Amino acid sequence: MKRWQRYGICIALGLVGGAGYAISQVRGDYTAKQISNGPWNANTIQGTEKATALIRAKVALHGIMALPAKEAMYYIAKTDSDGAPLNGKCTYTVRGGPLDARWWSVTLYHGEGWLVKNEANRWSVPGNKPVRDSDGNWSFTVSPKIANGVWLPTGGIDGFDLTLRLYHAKGNLLTDPANATLPTIKKESCA
Amino acid sequence: MKRNWLLPILVGLITAGAAWHGTLVATPYALMSAALDKIAAGRVNTFVFPQLSTADNQPIVRPSPDLSYSTCVFDLANGPVLLDIEPVPDHYWSISIFDARTDVAAVRSDRDTGGKSARLALIRKGMAVPKGYEPVALRYDKGLALIRILMTDAADFPTIDAIRRKSTCKQL
Repeated sequence: MKRWQRYGICIALGLVGGAGYAISQVRGDYTAKQISNGPWNANTIQGTEKATALIRAKVALHGIMALPAKEAMYYIAKTDSDGAPLNGKCTYTVRGGPLDARWWSVTLYHGEGWLVKNEANRWSVPGNKPVRDSDGNWSFTVSPKIANGVWLPTGGIDGFDLTLRLYHAKGNLLTDPANATLPTIKKESCA
Repeated sequence: MKRNWLLPILVGLITAGAAWHGTLVATPYALMSAALDKIAAGRVNTFVFPQLSTADNQPIVRPSPDLSYSTCVFDLANGPVLLDIEPVPDHYWSISIFDARTDVAAVRSDRDTGGKSARLALIRKGMAVPKGYEPVALRYDKGLALIRILMTDAADFPTIDAIRRKSTCKQL
Protein backbone atom coordinates (compact mmCIF):
# COMPACT_ATOMS: atom_id res chain seq x y z
CA MET A 1 0.00 0.00 0.00
CA LYS A 2 1.27 3.43 -0.89
CA ARG A 3 2.04 6.06 1.70
CA TRP A 4 -0.77 8.43 0.64
CA GLN A 5 -3.23 5.57 0.85
CA ARG A 6 -2.27 4.87 4.46
CA TYR A 7 -2.74 8.56 5.35
CA GLY A 8 -5.98 8.72 3.41
CA ILE A 9 -7.45 5.72 5.18
CA CYS A 10 -6.47 6.99 8.65
CA ILE A 11 -7.72 10.55 8.02
CA ALA A 12 -11.02 9.26 6.63
CA LEU A 13 -11.50 6.96 9.60
CA GLY A 14 -10.59 9.82 11.94
CA LEU A 15 -13.14 12.14 10.37
CA VAL A 16 -15.94 9.58 10.43
CA GLY A 17 -15.04 8.27 13.88
CA GLY A 18 -14.63 11.69 15.50
CA ALA A 19 -17.81 13.16 14.03
CA GLY A 20 -19.73 9.95 14.70
CA TYR A 21 -18.69 9.85 18.32
CA ALA A 22 -19.68 13.51 18.77
CA ILE A 23 -23.10 12.85 17.23
CA SER A 24 -23.63 9.81 19.45
CA GLN A 25 -22.75 11.90 22.51
CA VAL A 26 -25.12 14.71 21.52
CA ARG A 27 -27.94 12.27 20.73
CA GLY A 28 -27.29 10.28 23.89
CA ASP A 29 -28.80 10.75 27.33
CA TYR A 30 -29.63 14.44 27.76
CA THR A 31 -29.20 14.13 31.51
CA ALA A 32 -25.72 12.59 31.35
CA LYS A 33 -23.09 14.67 33.15
CA GLN A 34 -25.76 16.79 34.80
CA ILE A 35 -26.12 17.24 38.56
CA SER A 36 -28.07 14.29 39.99
CA ASN A 37 -30.52 14.26 42.86
CA GLY A 38 -32.50 11.03 43.15
CA PRO A 39 -34.24 10.53 39.80
CA TRP A 40 -33.80 14.19 38.88
CA ASN A 41 -30.99 15.76 36.88
CA ALA A 42 -30.25 19.43 36.23
CA ASN A 43 -27.51 21.72 35.10
CA THR A 44 -26.91 25.31 36.08
CA ILE A 45 -24.80 26.55 33.16
CA GLN A 46 -27.03 26.00 30.15
CA GLY A 47 -27.47 29.01 27.94
CA THR A 48 -24.39 30.68 29.37
CA GLU A 49 -20.82 31.22 28.23
CA LYS A 50 -19.74 28.64 30.82
CA ALA A 51 -21.48 25.81 28.98
CA THR A 52 -19.07 23.33 27.41
CA ALA A 53 -19.33 22.52 23.72
CA LEU A 54 -20.99 19.20 24.59
CA ILE A 55 -23.56 20.73 26.96
CA ARG A 56 -24.35 23.47 24.45
CA ALA A 57 -24.86 20.91 21.68
CA LYS A 58 -27.03 18.69 23.89
CA VAL A 59 -29.19 21.63 24.95
CA ALA A 60 -29.55 22.69 21.30
CA LEU A 61 -30.93 19.24 20.44
CA HIS A 62 -32.97 18.43 23.55
CA GLY A 63 -33.93 21.80 25.04
CA ILE A 64 -33.19 24.68 22.68
CA MET A 65 -34.25 28.14 23.96
CA ALA A 66 -33.93 27.01 27.58
CA LEU A 67 -33.61 29.83 30.07
CA PRO A 68 -30.58 30.30 32.32
CA ALA A 69 -30.82 28.98 35.88
CA LYS A 70 -31.55 32.29 37.58
CA GLU A 71 -34.71 32.56 35.52
CA ALA A 72 -35.79 28.92 35.39
CA MET A 73 -34.44 25.63 36.68
CA TYR A 74 -35.18 22.48 34.70
CA TYR A 75 -35.04 19.17 36.56
CA ILE A 76 -35.45 16.13 34.32
CA ALA A 77 -36.29 12.58 35.50
CA LYS A 78 -35.95 9.59 33.21
CA THR A 79 -36.30 7.05 36.01
CA ASP A 80 -38.46 6.54 39.08
CA SER A 81 -37.03 6.98 42.57
CA ASP A 82 -35.85 3.34 42.54
CA GLY A 83 -33.82 3.93 39.39
CA ALA A 84 -36.08 2.04 36.94
CA PRO A 85 -36.72 3.78 33.57
CA LEU A 86 -40.08 5.53 33.38
CA ASN A 87 -42.50 3.40 31.36
CA GLY A 88 -45.69 4.76 29.85
CA LYS A 89 -47.52 1.51 30.56
CA CYS A 90 -46.97 1.93 34.32
CA THR A 91 -48.67 4.04 36.95
CA TYR A 92 -46.62 6.35 39.16
CA THR A 93 -47.30 8.64 42.08
CA VAL A 94 -45.33 11.88 42.09
CA ARG A 95 -45.28 13.25 45.61
CA GLY A 96 -43.67 16.38 46.99
CA GLY A 97 -43.83 19.27 49.39
CA PRO A 98 -43.51 23.03 49.09
CA LEU A 99 -41.06 24.08 46.36
CA ASP A 100 -39.30 27.38 46.87
CA ALA A 101 -40.04 29.00 43.53
CA ARG A 102 -42.46 31.49 42.09
CA TRP A 103 -44.07 28.83 39.96
CA TRP A 104 -43.53 25.19 39.06
CA SER A 105 -44.95 22.61 36.70
CA VAL A 106 -44.21 19.01 35.69
CA THR A 107 -44.42 18.17 31.97
CA LEU A 108 -44.27 14.73 30.31
CA TYR A 109 -42.13 14.31 27.18
CA HIS A 110 -40.94 11.47 25.01
CA GLY A 111 -37.95 11.16 22.68
CA GLU A 112 -35.84 14.28 22.42
CA GLY A 113 -38.51 16.25 24.25
CA TRP A 114 -41.89 16.08 22.55
CA LEU A 115 -45.37 16.29 24.07
CA VAL A 116 -47.26 13.00 23.88
CA LYS A 117 -50.66 12.65 22.21
CA ASN A 118 -53.30 11.52 24.69
CA GLU A 119 -57.06 11.42 25.00
CA ALA A 120 -57.20 14.03 27.75
CA ASN A 121 -55.10 16.58 25.80
CA ARG A 122 -53.12 17.16 28.98
CA TRP A 123 -49.33 17.39 28.96
CA SER A 124 -48.40 18.94 32.28
CA VAL A 125 -49.41 19.43 35.88
CA PRO A 126 -49.14 23.09 36.91
CA GLY A 127 -48.13 23.72 40.49
CA ASN A 128 -51.50 25.20 41.42
CA LYS A 129 -53.46 22.04 40.52
CA PRO A 130 -52.62 19.37 43.13
CA VAL A 131 -54.45 19.68 46.45
CA ARG A 132 -52.19 20.46 49.43
CA ASP A 133 -52.46 19.03 52.92
CA SER A 134 -51.93 21.23 55.97
CA ASP A 135 -48.13 20.91 55.57
CA GLY A 136 -48.22 21.87 51.90
CA ASN A 137 -47.61 18.31 50.67
CA TRP A 138 -49.17 17.27 47.38
CA SER A 139 -49.26 14.38 44.92
CA PHE A 140 -50.50 13.48 41.47
CA THR A 141 -50.72 10.38 39.31
CA VAL A 142 -48.88 9.63 36.08
CA SER A 143 -50.52 6.73 34.24
CA PRO A 144 -51.79 5.50 30.88
CA LYS A 145 -55.40 5.39 32.11
CA ILE A 146 -57.55 7.97 33.84
CA ALA A 147 -56.91 8.15 37.59
CA ASN A 148 -58.50 9.79 40.59
CA GLY A 149 -57.30 13.25 41.51
CA VAL A 150 -54.83 15.13 39.36
CA TRP A 151 -53.77 12.88 36.49
CA LEU A 152 -50.98 13.23 33.93
CA PRO A 153 -51.48 10.84 30.98
CA THR A 154 -48.56 8.88 29.52
CA GLY A 155 -50.38 8.08 26.29
CA GLY A 156 -49.26 4.47 26.79
CA ILE A 157 -45.87 5.05 25.16
CA ASP A 158 -42.87 2.92 26.08
CA GLY A 159 -40.56 5.49 27.64
CA PHE A 160 -40.89 9.09 28.76
CA ASP A 161 -39.30 11.71 30.96
CA LEU A 162 -40.71 14.25 33.38
CA THR A 163 -39.45 17.84 33.42
CA LEU A 164 -39.92 19.86 36.58
CA ARG A 165 -39.75 23.56 35.69
CA LEU A 166 -39.21 26.08 38.47
CA TYR A 167 -39.43 29.78 37.65
CA HIS A 168 -37.44 32.13 39.88
CA ALA A 169 -36.29 29.25 42.04
CA LYS A 170 -34.61 30.06 45.33
CA GLY A 171 -32.42 28.36 47.91
CA ASN A 172 -30.99 24.93 47.17
CA LEU A 173 -33.27 24.50 44.18
CA LEU A 174 -31.20 27.19 42.46
CA THR A 175 -27.80 27.10 44.12
CA ASP A 176 -27.35 23.48 45.20
CA PRO A 177 -29.49 21.16 43.03
CA ALA A 178 -27.73 18.05 44.36
CA ASN A 179 -29.07 18.72 47.85
CA ALA A 180 -32.43 20.31 47.07
CA THR A 181 -35.59 18.60 48.34
CA LEU A 182 -37.38 17.34 45.24
CA PRO A 183 -40.51 15.27 44.57
CA THR A 184 -40.35 11.47 44.64
CA ILE A 185 -41.58 9.26 41.79
CA LYS A 186 -42.99 5.95 43.00
CA LYS A 187 -44.02 3.16 40.66
CA GLU A 188 -47.41 1.76 41.72
CA SER A 189 -48.16 -0.86 39.04
CA CYS A 190 -47.70 -1.75 35.38
CA ALA A 191 -50.22 -2.87 32.79
CA MET B 1 5.33 -2.62 8.18
CA LYS B 2 4.14 -1.38 11.58
CA ARG B 3 6.36 1.69 11.35
CA ASN B 4 4.73 2.58 8.04
CA TRP B 5 1.39 2.97 9.82
CA LEU B 6 2.54 4.74 12.97
CA LEU B 7 2.46 8.29 11.64
CA PRO B 8 -0.75 7.86 9.59
CA ILE B 9 -2.51 6.48 12.68
CA LEU B 10 -1.27 9.42 14.73
CA VAL B 11 -2.57 11.82 12.08
CA GLY B 12 -5.86 9.89 12.06
CA LEU B 13 -6.24 10.26 15.84
CA ILE B 14 -5.55 14.00 15.64
CA THR B 15 -8.10 14.24 12.83
CA ALA B 16 -10.64 12.33 14.95
CA GLY B 17 -10.15 14.78 17.82
CA ALA B 18 -10.58 17.75 15.52
CA ALA B 19 -13.66 16.22 13.90
CA TRP B 20 -15.17 15.47 17.33
CA HIS B 21 -14.63 19.02 18.56
CA GLY B 22 -15.68 20.59 15.27
CA THR B 23 -18.94 18.62 15.23
CA LEU B 24 -19.76 19.65 18.81
CA VAL B 25 -19.01 23.31 18.09
CA ALA B 26 -21.01 23.32 14.84
CA THR B 27 -24.08 21.53 16.22
CA PRO B 28 -25.67 24.49 18.09
CA TYR B 29 -25.26 26.81 15.08
CA ALA B 30 -26.80 24.21 12.75
CA LEU B 31 -29.74 23.40 15.03
CA MET B 32 -30.37 27.07 15.81
CA SER B 33 -30.31 27.96 12.12
CA ALA B 34 -32.85 25.23 11.41
CA ALA B 35 -35.03 26.36 14.33
CA LEU B 36 -34.94 30.00 13.19
CA ASP B 37 -35.95 29.02 9.65
CA LYS B 38 -38.84 26.93 10.98
CA ILE B 39 -40.07 29.56 13.43
CA ALA B 40 -39.68 32.53 11.09
CA ALA B 41 -41.29 30.93 8.03
CA GLY B 42 -40.11 33.98 6.07
CA ARG B 43 -41.10 36.56 8.69
CA VAL B 44 -38.10 38.40 10.15
CA ASN B 45 -37.96 41.34 12.58
CA THR B 46 -41.60 41.00 13.56
CA PHE B 47 -43.35 39.14 16.34
CA VAL B 48 -45.30 35.97 15.60
CA PHE B 49 -47.96 34.94 18.12
CA PRO B 50 -48.56 31.17 17.99
CA GLN B 51 -51.27 29.29 19.81
CA LEU B 52 -50.44 27.39 23.02
CA SER B 53 -48.24 24.32 22.56
CA THR B 54 -49.98 20.97 22.20
CA ALA B 55 -48.94 17.56 20.93
CA ASP B 56 -50.01 18.77 17.47
CA ASN B 57 -48.30 22.16 17.75
CA GLN B 58 -44.64 21.87 18.77
CA PRO B 59 -42.49 24.31 16.81
CA ILE B 60 -39.47 23.62 19.02
CA VAL B 61 -38.36 20.76 21.25
CA ARG B 62 -39.50 20.57 24.90
CA PRO B 63 -42.23 23.24 24.74
CA SER B 64 -44.15 24.09 27.88
CA PRO B 65 -47.94 23.84 27.50
CA ASP B 66 -48.26 26.26 30.44
CA LEU B 67 -46.59 29.13 28.62
CA SER B 68 -47.74 31.41 25.87
CA TYR B 69 -44.80 31.91 23.51
CA SER B 70 -44.30 34.84 21.14
CA THR B 71 -41.33 34.81 18.82
CA CYS B 72 -39.35 37.27 16.74
CA VAL B 73 -36.56 35.97 14.55
CA PHE B 74 -34.27 38.96 14.17
CA ASP B 75 -31.54 39.94 11.74
CA LEU B 76 -29.26 42.86 12.57
CA ALA B 77 -27.59 42.96 9.15
CA ASN B 78 -29.35 46.22 8.28
CA GLY B 79 -29.33 47.88 11.68
CA PRO B 80 -30.61 47.60 15.26
CA VAL B 81 -33.86 45.82 16.09
CA LEU B 82 -36.05 47.36 18.77
CA LEU B 83 -38.20 45.34 21.15
CA ASP B 84 -41.09 46.90 23.08
CA ILE B 85 -42.58 44.28 25.38
CA GLU B 86 -46.04 44.88 26.76
CA PRO B 87 -46.27 43.89 30.45
CA VAL B 88 -48.89 41.38 31.55
CA PRO B 89 -50.25 42.23 35.00
CA ASP B 90 -50.18 39.49 37.65
CA HIS B 91 -48.49 36.97 35.39
CA TYR B 92 -44.90 35.82 35.09
CA TRP B 93 -43.54 37.02 31.78
CA SER B 94 -40.07 37.35 30.32
CA ILE B 95 -38.29 38.33 27.14
CA SER B 96 -35.17 36.34 26.35
CA ILE B 97 -32.68 36.92 23.55
CA PHE B 98 -30.92 33.88 22.06
CA ASP B 99 -27.96 34.28 19.71
CA ALA B 100 -26.99 32.12 16.75
CA ARG B 101 -24.94 29.85 19.05
CA THR B 102 -28.00 29.32 21.33
CA ASP B 103 -26.45 31.38 24.15
CA VAL B 104 -28.75 33.68 26.09
CA ALA B 105 -27.66 37.27 25.45
CA ALA B 106 -30.23 38.75 27.82
CA VAL B 107 -33.32 37.92 29.87
CA ARG B 108 -35.67 40.49 31.37
CA SER B 109 -38.72 39.39 33.31
CA ASP B 110 -41.44 41.24 35.21
CA ARG B 111 -39.22 40.75 38.28
CA ASP B 112 -36.49 42.78 36.58
CA THR B 113 -38.74 45.54 35.24
CA GLY B 114 -40.94 45.83 38.33
CA GLY B 115 -43.93 44.97 36.18
CA LYS B 116 -43.21 47.71 33.65
CA SER B 117 -42.57 47.18 29.96
CA ALA B 118 -39.17 46.06 28.67
CA ARG B 119 -37.56 48.14 25.92
CA LEU B 120 -34.50 46.52 24.38
CA ALA B 121 -32.31 47.52 21.44
CA LEU B 122 -30.61 44.55 19.82
CA ILE B 123 -27.36 45.77 18.33
CA ARG B 124 -24.01 44.74 16.92
CA LYS B 125 -20.90 46.47 18.18
CA GLY B 126 -20.77 50.08 17.03
CA MET B 127 -24.50 50.51 16.36
CA ALA B 128 -26.20 53.51 17.97
CA VAL B 129 -28.82 52.90 20.66
CA PRO B 130 -32.01 54.99 20.55
CA LYS B 131 -32.89 56.90 23.69
CA GLY B 132 -35.06 54.96 26.13
CA TYR B 133 -33.84 51.52 25.06
CA GLU B 134 -31.54 49.18 26.95
CA PRO B 135 -28.78 47.93 24.64
CA VAL B 136 -28.24 44.20 24.14
CA ALA B 137 -25.02 43.66 22.20
CA LEU B 138 -24.90 40.50 20.10
CA ARG B 139 -22.00 38.68 18.47
CA TYR B 140 -24.08 37.48 15.54
CA ASP B 141 -26.64 39.12 13.26
CA LYS B 142 -29.29 36.46 13.66
CA GLY B 143 -31.10 35.12 16.69
CA LEU B 144 -34.44 34.85 18.42
CA ALA B 145 -36.38 37.08 20.80
CA LEU B 146 -38.82 34.97 22.82
CA ILE B 147 -41.63 36.17 25.09
CA ARG B 148 -42.88 33.70 27.68
CA ILE B 149 -46.12 34.42 29.54
CA LEU B 150 -47.26 32.01 32.22
CA MET B 151 -50.81 30.74 31.80
CA THR B 152 -52.11 29.83 35.24
CA ASP B 153 -55.49 29.22 33.66
CA ALA B 154 -55.91 28.36 29.97
CA ALA B 155 -59.21 30.26 30.02
CA ASP B 156 -57.16 33.46 30.31
CA PHE B 157 -55.61 32.92 26.91
CA PRO B 158 -57.85 35.32 24.93
CA THR B 159 -57.05 38.12 27.38
CA ILE B 160 -53.34 37.30 27.39
CA ASP B 161 -53.33 37.00 23.62
CA ALA B 162 -54.76 40.50 23.22
CA ILE B 163 -52.11 41.94 25.55
CA ARG B 164 -49.12 40.16 24.00
CA ARG B 165 -50.05 41.37 20.52
CA LYS B 166 -49.20 44.90 21.67
CA SER B 167 -45.53 43.90 21.88
CA THR B 168 -43.45 44.89 18.89
CA CYS B 169 -40.22 43.81 17.23
CA LYS B 170 -39.06 46.09 14.45
CA GLN B 171 -35.97 47.17 12.63
CA LEU B 172 -34.85 50.74 13.31
